[in-house]
Amino acid sequence: MHLTREEERIYCGEHGWASQMCMKILIQLGDLFKADRLIPIRSAHVSGVSYKTLGDAPIEFLKVLADAGGRVKVRSTLNPQSFDPDQLGKKLPEHVRKRQQAILDQFDRMGFKSSLTCTPYYLGKVEKGWHLAWAESSAVVYANSVLRAYTNREGGPSALAAALIGKTPNYGVHQSENRKPSILVHVEDPLMNEMEHGTLGIYLGRILGDRIPFIEGLKKSSSEDLKQLGAGLAASGMTNMFLTEKTYSKSREPIEKVSVKAADIRKTCEELSTNPGGQLDLVFVGCPHCSLREVKRIARLVDGKKIRGQLECWVCTSRYVKERAMEDVKRIEKAGARVLVDMCTIVSWTEKMGIKSIMTNSAKTAYYAPTLNRADTRLASLEECLKTAFRG
Amino acid sequence: MQEVVLRGRGIVEGCCEGEALVSAQPISFLGGVNSINGKIISKNHDLYGKFVKDKVLCFPHGSGSTVGSYVLYSLAKRKLAPKAIINQKADPVVVVGAVIAKIPMIDGIDIQQIASGDIVKVDAFRGFVKIVKLRR
Repeated sequence: MHLTREEERIYCGEHGWASQMCMKILIQLGDLFKADRLIPIRSAHVSGVSYKTLGDAPIEFLKVLADAGGRVKVRSTLNPQSFDPDQLGKKLPEHVRKRQQAILDQFDRMGFKSSLTCTPYYLGKVEKGWHLAWAESSAVVYANSVLRAYTNREGGPSALAAALIGKTPNYGVHQSENRKPSILVHVEDPLMNEMEHGTLGIYLGRILGDRIPFIEGLKKSSSEDLKQLGAGLAASGMTNMFLTEKTYSKSREPIEKVSVKAADIRKTCEELSTNPGGQLDLVFVGCPHCSLREVKRIARLVDGKKIRGQLECWVCTSRYVKERAMEDVKRIEKAGARVLVDMCTIVSWTEKMGIKSIMTNSAKTAYYAPTLNRADTRLASLEECLKTAFRG
Repeated sequence: MQEVVLRGRGIVEGCCEGEALVSAQPISFLGGVNSINGKIISKNHDLYGKFVKDKVLCFPHGSGSTVGSYVLYSLAKRKLAPKAIINQKADPVVVVGAVIAKIPMIDGIDIQQIASGDIVKVDAFRGFVKIVKLRR
């Protein structure tokens, strides 16, 4: 890989240990993927913020970086943490809250925005063709596929390295020639809701490997539907983008073709529901975090209703969106649900709160919850989730 | 026995010898491996219930969340990490994890040639794996 003089100096340690470590990560990745050089990025988004998934060892790593003078060079946002400090924080032991805060403190010292969301694209504009270095696999797929920006699927540490250097290696989907589909997916039966889009994502992720699919049959899908699709794709596979009829005109080059039928979606949904009929502790929507439009839709659907029995209902979004939907939030809370911010349910402490069974409209959550939360799952559409959670 | 040498590409430098733990399936370190004890916890995974500690961990490639890199770092800090990682095709989550956790890593290896229990020598400087003792 070609390095500028300045980059070489950083690699040799002339700008301190933090920059040197970050440059090493970028160069290792660049060499591995045969990048020709480093390119400047518009923003970085870092995953690995929740104390529950990070554990203690990475706190030391972050602290050493911050102590050594590591500071962000571009707009840099953070993925969610492990609880909503205003609502669920008090239910957790003090040492958990302290360790979580220790992580946030290190990021703060390095100049990160305390965005704490998996949907950074709702917080600030991202233009077509911008180069980014984002972690959080669902946001990566969304950025490449819906926003048509360019980002590889970074790891928490590689996005961190890119944030602290302001550059990323030029390889993979940063190069136009690598953004072409190698498999055509024909969705035979129309998808009925966002849950089915997420389920299609899980189904395809398992068979695609890292291939980019051109997916036919999504003309009526909303950006929120495509968000679910991308989250599912990234959870079960390595794919970092998909193309649709909106973003790609079908080429004449023959490529492999697969068809997906309603029965495939139904079967995958059944597999992802480990507890289709049993008792429920939590109904959860907002993975990935709800858009403003979704919060408004939920408010309309639960308006005037009341939550059933001892059930918990969580609506997760970013603090940014919540602050812009306070009227809707009030209606949702009046019905007995919680609108939670800064957190991600699958990297939160649901077990410690006695939650053993989760109903959700997110295929990604249903995919992860049995292992990450040791919870049974029931996967259904947003409307069905809310019908189950509320009466009236 | 005849020695089998498999050639690949060294990614993170280092040399070691250890017992292979081989999977035909991708591994998602987030959610798939417990970062406190190094046990593989994905249900339906062919290595379900096995520990990665001190193993030469062979699998096709990583999958799942990018936070997986930190799980490798976390395991290394607790001395529960694999001794080396052998992939069919490296992916960034595993590569960065191996870089910051300082785990020798090679890719481009036909891992079907290796069986769990084989004793293998890994040379990630020169990019090869030698099976020194087949599983009985």
